[in-house]
Amino acid sequence: MAKAKIKFPVKAAKRAAPSRVVKSKPVKVQPVPEPFHASNRGTPLIEMREISIAFGGIKAVDHASIDLYPGEVVGLLGHNGAGKSTLIKVLSGAYKRDAGSIHLNGQEVAINNPRDAKGLGIETIYQTLALADNVDAAANLFLGRELRTPFGTLDDVAMESETRQVMHRLNPNFRRFKEPVMKLSGGQRQSVAIARAIHFNARILIMDEPTAALGPAETAQVGELIKQLKADGIGIFLISHDLHDVFDLADRLTVMKNGKVVGSARTSDVTQDEVLGMIIAGKCPKGAIPGPGALRDQAA
Amino acid sequence: MKRNILALMTGALLLGVSSMAAVAKDKTIAVSWKTFQEERWKTDEAAIKAVVEAAGDKYISTDAQGSAQKQAADIEGLISQKVDVIMVVAFDSDAILPSFKAASDAGVKMLSYDVLVEDPNALYVTFDNVGVGRLMAKEILAAKPEGNYAFIKGDKGDPNATFLFEGIMEVLKEAMDGGKIKNVCETFTDGWKPDNAQKNMEQCLTSTGNKVDAVVSENDGMASGVVAALDAQGLAGTVPVSGQDGDKAALNRVALGTQTVSVWKDARALGKIAAEAAVAIANGTDPTTLAGASKFNGGAKKIEVNAILLAPNPITKANLGDVISAGWISKEEACAGVKDGVDACK
Amino acid sequence: MSNTPSSQSPALSQESAIARFLRATEIDTRMLGMIAALLVIWVGFDIYSGVLRPGNGIFGGSFLMPRNLWILLVQTSTIAVMTTGMVLVIVMRQIDLSVGSMLSMVAVATGVLQVYNLGPALGLGHPSIWITAVVFALLLGAAVGCFNGFLIAYAKIPSFIVTLGGLIAYGGTAFLIAKGVTVAPMDKTFKLIGGNGPLASIGPFWSWFLGLSACAGIVLAILNGRRQRIRFKFPLRPVWAEVFIGITGSIAALGATAVVNAYPWPHKVAELYALENNIVIPAGIENRDGSAICMAADKIVHCVDGLSYQTGFPIPVLIALAVGFVMTFIATRTRFGRYIFATGGNPEAAELAGINTKRLTMMVFTLMGALVGISSVIASARLDAATTALGTLSELYVIAAAVIGGTSLAGGIGTIYGAMLGALLMQSLQSGMTLLNFESAYKDIVVGTVLVVAVFIDQVYRRRVK
Repeated sequence: MAKAKIKFPVKAAKRAAPSRVVKSKPVKVQPVPEPFHASNRGTPLIEMREISIAFGGIKAVDHASIDLYPGEVVGLLGHNGAGKSTLIKVLSGAYKRDAGSIHLNGQEVAINNPRDAKGLGIETIYQTLALADNVDAAANLFLGRELRTPFGTLDDVAMESETRQVMHRLNPNFRRFKEPVMKLSGGQRQSVAIARAIHFNARILIMDEPTAALGPAETAQVGELIKQLKADGIGIFLISHDLHDVFDLADRLTVMKNGKVVGSARTSDVTQDEVLGMIIAGKCPKGAIPGPGALRDQAA
Repeated sequence: MKRNILALMTGALLLGVSSMAAVAKDKTIAVSWKTFQEERWKTDEAAIKAVVEAAGDKYISTDAQGSAQKQAADIEGLISQKVDVIMVVAFDSDAILPSFKAASDAGVKMLSYDVLVEDPNALYVTFDNVGVGRLMAKEILAAKPEGNYAFIKGDKGDPNATFLFEGIMEVLKEAMDGGKIKNVCETFTDGWKPDNAQKNMEQCLTSTGNKVDAVVSENDGMASGVVAALDAQGLAGTVPVSGQDGDKAALNRVALGTQTVSVWKDARALGKIAAEAAVAIANGTDPTTLAGASKFNGGAKKIEVNAILLAPNPITKANLGDVISAGWISKEEACAGVKDGVDACK
Repeated sequence: MSNTPSSQSPALSQESAIARFLRATEIDTRMLGMIAALLVIWVGFDIYSGVLRPGNGIFGGSFLMPRNLWILLVQTSTIAVMTTGMVLVIVMRQIDLSVGSMLSMVAVATGVLQVYNLGPALGLGHPSIWITAVVFALLLGAAVGCFNGFLIAYAKIPSFIVTLGGLIAYGGTAFLIAKGVTVAPMDKTFKLIGGNGPLASIGPFWSWFLGLSACAGIVLAILNGRRQRIRFKFPLRPVWAEVFIGITGSIAALGATAVVNAYPWPHKVAELYALENNIVIPAGIENRDGSAICMAADKIVHCVDGLSYQTGFPIPVLIALAVGFVMTFIATRTRFGRYIFATGGNPEAAELAGINTKRLTMMVFTLMGALVGISSVIASARLDAATTALGTLSELYVIAAAVIGGTSLAGGIGTIYGAMLGALLMQSLQSGMTLLNFESAYKDIVVGTVLVVAVFIDQVYRRRVK
């Protein structure tokens, strides 16, 4: 288990002073010195090494390693039950890993629960959205990190105000701030979940099937958003079934099968057919770096 | 076990020495309790045991733990142990009938204690329950011969509540027919619960504009609620209230004057009388010749049985000393907060 | 992401006047329905009781009289206090069946402490007796609730089972503590908490003070809300709507004060008080229906103009109101409350948001236990005795009140004021039927039916809103 715990200065400052007066704070994260690029090698933003986790004897994730650089989108592909969601839940703190380590900017970090992950700037948009349906958008957005007045009570007005700003950016027509999210449409709910992930200065964003429940126009909007966040220097893990999406948006991709990594590749180095072969048969093509899950004869 | 053997050997020895003594000394009186979880049965047991052992006989007991089947098995076991008399506090007075017959057939004398079992061969020892109602009504009537009466009855599902009410009405009928007494409120109380009785009394006082002159409450617990409701209107102490059970808190209220009477059924007296009867019939005495013996046919099937019905004791300010001298309640408990005018507290 | 303007801005022009009114005032229509039901019940009982026996009620009966309403409020307070906690328990998708037995256990233990231990040790009426007893009841309740919560949250035993076990076991414990004996009488000061009698009320001055403070509070809350909305440039409620809410709220507060003050002390109580304190009873002409007392020919008689005292708010009702206020605050203004609702809405989401739902569960049950402690004090003080039977089966009424008040057993939804109104509604039914001398079997049937019908109406309403 990791010992060092990295403090995230921006977050710490924000937590310490939940001011009543809310400045019109942009949703953007802190500026990055130079535009990152997928080829910009160095210390990865996040690195998961040899992660294993088993549920009742079944190895859901088996020695999987994966990394992500700032401003990079890494697509995570695989069948249902390939272990990609489980691997990512280890990163978001929802599951505790049995073995392996996680490194942020090269330093090992302890992630034992969702709070730890969020403290490190790792935000997740779950496939289920993980919204409390009975409360409104602002309550969901700030769930677990509510703004409070100097008296320690909930500062609903301030929270609503911030929610209005972030939602305006994502979904300018959104007006239903007072209603429980169960009354919202699928797309609106999705915007609330995304707003929650990006509002707190995320450095790493995990998106689990962000477009599964959306129509084409909404899917395109998500695409736009991802490009924008990428430009801001945020690293994104994109879990998807949809090869087109991944090829459109991701710089690199990693394929998993039976809990193991089949291989990783830059999207420019492989074809969709080759990736399909990785997903279905575990065959690692020439342009990819094979992982422990790759078929043996192909691995060479 | 060793002890039993020793007792048996002693018995046999005695039998050899003096056959006369053996008749009186080696009887076994058994009691089959329906459940021993309730506090009161321990009081009964102590009284029974004392009488039986004083007579030189042997006391044994079984606990049915609130099960009719277990009680039947218990009695079967007692029959095979060849006891002389079995006293039964029946859990289910119908279900136990075959056991009574089997015992009688085996020559064991049966006695139903507190709960009526309608077997003509069994002796029934209990308090006169209709009498409790009569006693309450008598005391209240003496305190308030005319006026508006409120009746706080027990739970609607308990036949005793109606039973008591019959006794009450028996006494009050004449005055009611003559128009001296008016029934202004009459209500059952869910679960005999004091807080429900309090609410019922409050509503009664509201609807009559406090024009209530006397309250007949069917037990002491409910009387506590009634008195609380009266107290809120400043009426406690001026409106007579009845009750039964001899609750300590109720006896204290009697001393304080906020409750008029608590009809007391002394479990020890009942145990003593029953045990004496048991010892007597074990020695072959005919139950009909016992002191206080009568015929009773007030059960559901109207079967006539031999019975000893004990008169309950209505405790008022005047005879409060009885419960204190009987050791039922200490003087401090009974007289807490009493300022003057009660002889028993001096 | 998606833009569905049609569902976001329904054509305002097509709304009916009532809908527009409700939208502008942001009034909870459910609450409006409950208040309407309550009024129908009250008026119905008053008319019906008037037919049987004319009284001084507004419609000629004996229900809508200050005295009956005053007693009704006192009778409701025990259940009302507990139901505020039950709302949070049910919102968390849990249940607490043990509150009734817990109440009798705490009441008996507190009774034994003050009657058998503190009384003899400190001398009857010692001022520290009642304080110690109240604190003890609160702590014992909280401890037992915490124990329930621990078993549910950490030992992962379903709350239904844990509290069903508690229902049985705590009842047995209550019996053991006092060996089934009724423990009485309570300490003199302690008794006042039960509101038994006019001396346990705060009188007209403080009642008006409270009523006016409530009005001031309502106005301040409206102004503050408006200021906040302006500061953050949120859409404002129309001024007429704000004024309407302010006036209605103030009328309700002052009306309640007027009602409790209109209940005069019973003649006997006033008489005893006057004699004890050497207060001169004025001479007057006898009038049997008068609410005051006078001297006429050396006798104390009832009269119209004479010595009379106003009762005011009874202490248990104030306690219940305070509990309702604090619990509403907890539920809506604190993180704790927010987490309870979020967890009830989606436990998984709450965990993923970093909420420690186990600790939260334990805290909610602890709070429930503390509220049971408060109720046990009120109940035993009111009866002036603690018995094993006190409070048994009240869990059913507590749960029913919460459910009638709109708490969803599926979790996530419920309001404190709704549950308290539910408690008042149920007690109104019971008291009213007792007043009419209904046989208790019919009372049970009516209350049971109302519970089912209330939930049915609620379901229909919710489906339509969706």
